[in-house]
Amino acid sequence: MKIALFSDIHANLPALEAFFKDVETRNTDAICCLGDLVGYNIWPNEVIDEIRRRGIPTIAGNYDWGIGRSSDDCGCAYKTDDEKAMGKVSISYTNQIVRDEQRAYLRTLPAHIRLEYQLNHDKRNILFVHGSPRKVNEYLFEDRDEKSMIRIMEQADADIMCFGHTHQPYHCILNSGTEGNDHFRHAINIGSVGKPKDKDPRGGYVILTINPDSTVTVKDSITVEFIRFEYDIEKAAKAVEDSPLPNEYADMLRNA
Amino acid sequence: MKIALFSDIHANLQAFEEMLADLDSRPIDAVYCLGDLVGYNVWPNEIISEMQRRKVPCIAGNHDVKVNGLITTATSLKEPGKKYAYHLIDEPGRKYLSTLPAHIKLEYKIDGQRLNIMLAHGSTRSIDEYVLIDTNEAYVLELMEEANADVLCVGHSHKPYHRVIIDGKGNKKHIINTGSVGKPKDGNPKGCYVLLTIEPSVSQGSEDIVAVEFIRFDYNIEKAAKAIEDSPLPIEFADMLRQAK
Repeated sequence: MKIALFSDIHANLPALEAFFKDVETRNTDAICCLGDLVGYNIWPNEVIDEIRRRGIPTIAGNYDWGIGRSSDDCGCAYKTDDEKAMGKVSISYTNQIVRDEQRAYLRTLPAHIRLEYQLNHDKRNILFVHGSPRKVNEYLFEDRDEKSMIRIMEQADADIMCFGHTHQPYHCILNSGTEGNDHFRHAINIGSVGKPKDKDPRGGYVILTINPDSTVTVKDSITVEFIRFEYDIEKAAKAVEDSPLPNEYADMLRNA
Repeated sequence: MKIALFSDIHANLQAFEEMLADLDSRPIDAVYCLGDLVGYNVWPNEIISEMQRRKVPCIAGNHDVKVNGLITTATSLKEPGKKYAYHLIDEPGRKYLSTLPAHIKLEYKIDGQRLNIMLAHGSTRSIDEYVLIDTNEAYVLELMEEANADVLCVGHSHKPYHRVIIDGKGNKKHIINTGSVGKPKDGNPKGCYVLLTIEPSVSQGSEDIVAVEFIRFDYNIEKAAKAIEDSPLPIEFADMLRQAK
């Protein structure tokens, strides 16, 4: 079973369209969106419509949570005063342009989706969250302490956990078992379709493959592929510059 | 949010295509399949291919797991009997069926309340356990508590229903059977699937957080029945489609 996982589109329609073009060529069996459809660009309604039209199972990101409730707080961890001021413009602009029907959709997105596998007399849970299972806006970076990551996954009863939110893709394999009694867990950050932050301005997503002989005792019984695809970055950046949004968001797309 | 749920297609391509046409005519936000794509008819491969093309998330049914360890030879494809329906499944189809999850759970947080929607084929305990409209209330509550589910959606019995049970804490628990797309057994030979609407908020438990609609659709039953009669499958399967038994 091949599952395409994507997230953090952030109202970037040219990136979403390029993603759909790319994923169509790869014969996946299922597709799932891990949230943050809106914010930072001019096409929140169009992005929502494209995802709904395809009936793609989607969970709520922190930005979706905020806009779904007409809140002025996206739960974003802005550090400086400048970042905070820009963030205010983005959320108020997004709240202004998102239509009622699209807002209602964001409001009724689930927080998590869980796939419970029972292959080879072995139970294995795959959990999709936006930030972390504890909080929609918790950042799980690659340098997080192993013990802390294992604890989060154990508490959420997740053997494979896929998430977005940081816009920095990685795959980390952890062993929460004891020697001779391995229990391999996978923490997978799927990157960002429409606002990468890992110095590669191309859009990113993940294809997760579950093999029929998959068990928790075998380290590489799942395959994680990180796909990067080109899209019309200038079109997305220009749209930001021609809108009330701060021009800095345009450069962030160019510079990732 | 409108979610379409369907199950028990049982290789009936005529019914499956009509269901998809009906589904495509409605504004639906997400679609899930509760298993049993195969068995009882001759089009398992066409159905699996269309599921893959549409990327519909799907859980395993008891007929889907019959391909595990199944060995097919030239003679097994000629032998009359119900096993023909599984021998017919091609390699990519078998691979797809053998890696389907057992359950899918949608975990909601609405107005600060958790709401878990659990999708299973038979029950959350067993792929071939029947959860029926008259299954003992206390037993169903026990199943749901064990699975931490507020809404339990199942298929397998081919008899659609929506029942509400109030648990010990006064909470409403919803149990929904999706019926069957391609082999109804409730006396109505039309295909069946479910539309589930998730309401964006709930005021003091007075309103239901989910609304359930059963959609019945016509399809070319004769064509699906004839395909059985023209195959090595047991001829009784054809009349079951005509009579919805």
